Amino acid sequence: MDLSFIVIDDTELDHFIAKKMIYHADKAFEVKPFYEALSALDYIKSEEALIKNNANTLILLDIYMPIMTGYEFLDAFESLDPVIQAKYYIVVLTSSHEPADMNRMTAYKSVKGILSKPLLAEDLSAIIVRMITEKGIELL
Amino acid sequence: MAEKIKILYLDDEIDNLTGFKASFRLDYQVFTAVNVPGAVDFLTKHPDIKVIFCDQRMPEKTGVEFFEEIRSTFPAPIRILITAYTDIDSVIGAINRGNIFRFIKKPWDPADIISAIDEANKFYHTNSVLTVKNEELRKAYAELDKFAYSVSHDIRGPLSGILGAINVARDIYDINEMKEMLFLMEKSLKKLDTYILSMHDYYSLQRGELRIAEVNFNQMAQELRDIYRMVADANNIKFIITVDQREPFRSDIVPLKLVLNNLLSNAFKYQNKATDDKRVELTMLVHRGMLNIEVKDTGIGILGNHIGEIFNLFYRASSQEAGSGFGLYNVKSALLKLNGQIEVNSALNRGTTFKVSIPTK
Repeated sequence: MDLSFIVIDDTELDHFIAKKMIYHADKAFEVKPFYEALSALDYIKSEEALIKNNANTLILLDIYMPIMTGYEFLDAFESLDPVIQAKYYIVVLTSSHEPADMNRMTAYKSVKGILSKPLLAEDLSAIIVRMITEKGIELL
Repeated sequence: MAEKIKILYLDDEIDNLTGFKASFRLDYQVFTAVNVPGAVDFLTKHPDIKVIFCDQRMPEKTGVEFFEEIRSTFPAPIRILITAYTDIDSVIGAINRGNIFRFIKKPWDPADIISAIDEANKFYHTNSVLTVKNEELRKAYAELDKFAYSVSHDIRGPLSGILGAINVARDIYDINEMKEMLFLMEKSLKKLDTYILSMHDYYSLQRGELRIAEVNFNQMAQELRDIYRMVADANNIKFIITVDQREPFRSDIVPLKLVLNNLLSNAFKYQNKATDDKRVELTMLVHRGMLNIEVKDTGIGILGNHIGEIFNLFYRASSQEAGSGFGLYNVKSALLKLNGQIEVNSALNRGTTFKVSIPTK
């Protein structure tokens, strides 16, 4: 089983950095970028994602985005079929240091971790290792 | 004094009312009521009554009871009780509960009444100034909250992106990849710059006074054509301006330009990339002291459920382009200063039309 990534962020530069950091961990990882949380949600619900993603997709989620915020995404995600939810491992990626935001993010049971921007290679590696251990994924 | 102070006197004895009115009608606008419903009627019709005098001993209810009753419905007028010394205990209680401003002993001395009105008037004004200031402060605090919240994202966001990019740069050896990243860094910096410029607009709109002068819309059209030529050509967008001004129009050009520039830059920015025939149409008509502006685009449109919120501070309805969430809020603030109106019509993926009307000054 291998690991793949979904990055949800409205800023191109942040996508670029996230992709660089993911490739830094392993060149072979697949990264699917979304600039809008709504289209990411549609994708997750799609047939394609249902078949393809096998409990090994890590989502890096920005919080402040227009149209659908990260919070709204999480609300919608947590109301999805538990079978779908189990396929994803959500980590919030944010530039906010507000305690109110932190409390709100950690209140979501689907949020497995919080990383602050700018994303650092070692932080991402640590999250990947944790996810692999928790989920019992074997990397090729 | 420009206008006489309005005062109301409530007493069940007609003789007292007549005497009161005769003594003070020259200096004040005096309303007299013989019972509570009559007094309430005056207070409803004249919300600018500043002082209420009321007799303590009346058949239906006491003056103290009357004041206690109207305190919540008519909080602004200053309440003064007229009473004999024998009622002193109930008066003390009423003063201490804040229901009356002061009391005057019966029979009254005109000098006491005049000084009471004078003091009450001052108190009334201090109170109303305070109420207005409080309201302004509340609004300022609410916006400050939004600001503090947005600063962490809209300013820190691009900065942390650039910091992250510098970090990444240490591992980039491919010149093209580096150039791509520099381009994205530039985009983030421009976004930050736009944010700061709009923040400046925001503050100048909140604080500045209006500077009224005649506005020539043909000249304005030429300026706008020059400003948007580059972006129109680069993105293959037709920019069509129609002006019809046959009478002078007076306004403040700074907020006026702010309105036009925000609406136009949105019209250029949020174009539907799938459309071949891209247009931005601006119409400026001056007719009978009214300026009517129309900005029409062939853009991505605004979803119905977002339309109610687009004029809110920091609201962004699209992730297609770098928006600060200031633009339309600033438009609304500018129009408020110019006594203007705005309405919006939009069809998703077909385009948006903003209609603005502003009266001449």
